[in-house]
Amino acid sequence: MVTVKDYECSFENKWCSGCGNFGILSAMKESLAELEISPDNILLVSGIGQAGKTPHFMKCNMFHSLHGRALTIATGAKLANHNLNIIVNSGDGDCYGEGGNHFINAVRRNIDVTLLVHNNQIYGLTKGQASPTSDQGMKTNLQQNGVISEPFNPVSTALALGCGFVARGFSGNTTQLKKLIKEAVNYRGFSIIDILQPCVSFNKINTYSWYKSKVYDLEDENYSPDSLENAFKISRLWNEKIPTGIIYKEEKLSYTEKIKVLNRHALIENNYNPEKLKEVILNIA
Amino acid sequence: MTFDISIKIGGEAGQGIQTVGNILTSVFQSAGLYTMAINDFESRVRGGHSFFQIRISDKPVNAPSHKIDILMALNQLTCKYHEKELTKDGIILSDARFFSEKDNIHFIPLTELSAKAGDKITSNTIAVGIILSLTGMPVRLLEDVLKFSFQKKGKDILEKNFKAAELGYDFASKFKYNLNLPADNFDNSRININGSKAIALGALASDCRFASFYPMSPATSVMKNLSAFSKDIPFIVEQAEDEIAAVNNIIGASFAGVRSITSTSGGGFCLMTEGLGLAAITETPVVIINAQRPGPATGLPTRTAQADLQFVIKSSQDDFPRFVFAPGSPEEAFKITQKAFYLSEKYQVPAIILTDQYLNDSLFTIEKGVLTIPENIKSFIIEDKELENPELYKRYKLTKNGISQRVLPCSGKAIVRVTGNEHDESGHISEDAENRNKMVNKRFVKMEGMIQEMSSPETFNKESDILMIGWGSSKYAIKEASDILIESGIDIGYIHFTDLWPFPFDMVTDLIKNKKLIMVEGNRSSQLGLLIMEQTGERFFETVLKYNGRPFYPNEICKQVKKILE
Ligand SMILES: Cc1ncc(C[n+]2csc(CCOP(=O)(O)OP(=O)(O)O)c2C)c(N)n1
Ligand code: SF4
Ligand SMILES: [Mg+2]
Repeated sequence: MVTVKDYECSFENKWCSGCGNFGILSAMKESLAELEISPDNILLVSGIGQAGKTPHFMKCNMFHSLHGRALTIATGAKLANHNLNIIVNSGDGDCYGEGGNHFINAVRRNIDVTLLVHNNQIYGLTKGQASPTSDQGMKTNLQQNGVISEPFNPVSTALALGCGFVARGFSGNTTQLKKLIKEAVNYRGFSIIDILQPCVSFNKINTYSWYKSKVYDLEDENYSPDSLENAFKISRLWNEKIPTGIIYKEEKLSYTEKIKVLNRHALIENNYNPEKLKEVILNIA
Repeated sequence: MTFDISIKIGGEAGQGIQTVGNILTSVFQSAGLYTMAINDFESRVRGGHSFFQIRISDKPVNAPSHKIDILMALNQLTCKYHEKELTKDGIILSDARFFSEKDNIHFIPLTELSAKAGDKITSNTIAVGIILSLTGMPVRLLEDVLKFSFQKKGKDILEKNFKAAELGYDFASKFKYNLNLPADNFDNSRININGSKAIALGALASDCRFASFYPMSPATSVMKNLSAFSKDIPFIVEQAEDEIAAVNNIIGASFAGVRSITSTSGGGFCLMTEGLGLAAITETPVVIINAQRPGPATGLPTRTAQADLQFVIKSSQDDFPRFVFAPGSPEEAFKITQKAFYLSEKYQVPAIILTDQYLNDSLFTIEKGVLTIPENIKSFIIEDKELENPELYKRYKLTKNGISQRVLPCSGKAIVRVTGNEHDESGHISEDAENRNKMVNKRFVKMEGMIQEMSSPETFNKESDILMIGWGSSKYAIKEASDILIESGIDIGYIHFTDLWPFPFDMVTDLIKNKKLIMVEGNRSSQLGLLIMEQTGERFFETVLKYNGRPFYPNEICKQVKKILE
């Protein structure tokens, strides 16, 4: 039996106390333990930022990569060995800014990984610049006159790209978040959970109590996540009330399931076959 | 050499010049002759001016010739640009539209003959028939090649092409002109191959199973070849959303345990340099092909250059070890690709192979025997059961030679942590000053082993007081130039570099001591010359430099060398 304790790691945690990331970390450990996935059977891939540091703070195989590039690393790893359980930890800047093109294409490919975006609507690690999801008008040290652009809507975008599992979580509700992560990991295909995550040091607008006063659980409203039309409507809600939970879910074939040579074996499981290669050479000659 | 002739087919993009050229090259090759063909084209899909040039001999030929025996002009520009390249007895074959009355110009009614064959699109095959007739090749050889090329398109098309070949052949048999090349040595121990295919085969022979790329000339052809093979063997070619994704895809795949490759050209390589650093600091093996073209920025997309040497050696955040190779022929490309995979995995560092449009797109005749497939692949990956205590595994354990045991993620009890941040032995972020020194030194100490792996440059007549020095694809143009110069009474030698980084300075210092050195390079600043200067302290070079996007021709090297020696 796998327990949360198995995921404990002695490496010093480097987040500010009170940071929303702690809720995400504990929900991850709990859900993996409940899924009976042991630390040696999970690969966390992350980008750069406070979110990107997550894999260091639990026992697991990890690839802490570059700013914005986590999904490209995860894609390569999954194509090489689709038996890997891969979770990607990324920030709002990491995933929707620097890595925006990779985000778009990871959804299109429908590679079977779970993406957790720690969305604090700010650049945490670099000390408080605006991020793609920062509210319009938000003032920061670098945006002294307030953010001019409209915020990026990850949920609507994921839906528009055809993502088969789209959810929103809140780091302040770890019970719900744990459930969402479990469902996302079990989902075959690309799953995204955009997680509202208060940054206590730099985001003084979207605070813990700000989120708390707006979030509600779609499950409480008997919402059923099987209509794309309804999902789009839900994805637009923000100012008054913020819906959380699974917003859309649809079964479809994942990327590696659609590649014929991977039907029987993962790429890595094949044996080097000199006889076959000699045939290839004969054929071209 | 009893004969050495060249044929040039020029015309607009979209007229099928490459098809004509490829078929002709195959026929000459099947007649047991040696061929070498270059492919010159503009960055456009229709119109403009392009050409395909084939050199044919009974002895190996591995560089283009500046003299043309038969010039087939499918547009007027071909006459204008290339008439001056004709040999004394050379002829022009030209379509009616720009027919003129000069003695050596022969009218070839392609439109009329193709109508007779039953389809306009057979005019290419008619052109082939005409040239084969004028060179004395049996028409039967063409039929075999046509079968191979058109079989898939159905019986009707094949029949029409047979007919077209015959019509062209018969038409030209009335000409007085005939080169009467021998076609009696049906030796099939050789094949025609370009650099791209040789690299692709080299990758397969290295047990590479994954490639990711973003299309960019002249690098795409490597991936096209791999993609064709992926129908028969477990190999995935992924077209990424950009070069940043491509290089990180292969880092991810290699981290997970599958040998991986990407190919790009200068601008794409720029986008990959961040990933190159990630491969370096995470100590993940990857092989990157940089097929050079003239820059900066978009430069000349379909043309050739040797101008990224300094860039690929130095491009990085901070400083880290890597391998850089530059093959000079398809044979070398095949072998060096395998060497790159082997060394990249052995030392857990990135390996870069520099090719260019000329090597990637030109056809060379090689012995089939060169393409040997190894029976086994040496793997440097460590399995859980080989570890004394997997629970204590540390990915970046400090060792004397800088190489730590590489275990794959999720392959056992060992936990594998890697990061692009500076890290401690266990793979966790570390900002400790002492640890930082240890880790930089750990990565750098590998250079001591790496330099031992470098082959010394190949030399020809190295005793001579005058030495030309080149690298990569210009090998045979320079080699031929040295042969011509020696024949004309000039004692000269040649040093050809393939293994460029870590720079084998010991071996080089001895070779160049007290010599007159002439750098022959496809760039403006003599990048290898600068590297030799930096690494050996040698300061005196003459240069033959070419950077107009075209490959080296032996005769132009001779001319410039003679001028230098005057
Ligand atoms: C190529 C590159 N550009 C910029 C940076 C600097 N950088 C590091 S993290 C970061 C933004 C972090 O914001 P986010 O992704 O939202 O993560 P958070 O820290 O808020 O969790 C930036 C700009 C970098 N490391 N690499
Ligand atoms: S800066 Fe913000 S996001 Fe980063 S650890 Fe502190 S509270 Fe968390
Ligand atoms: Mg953020």
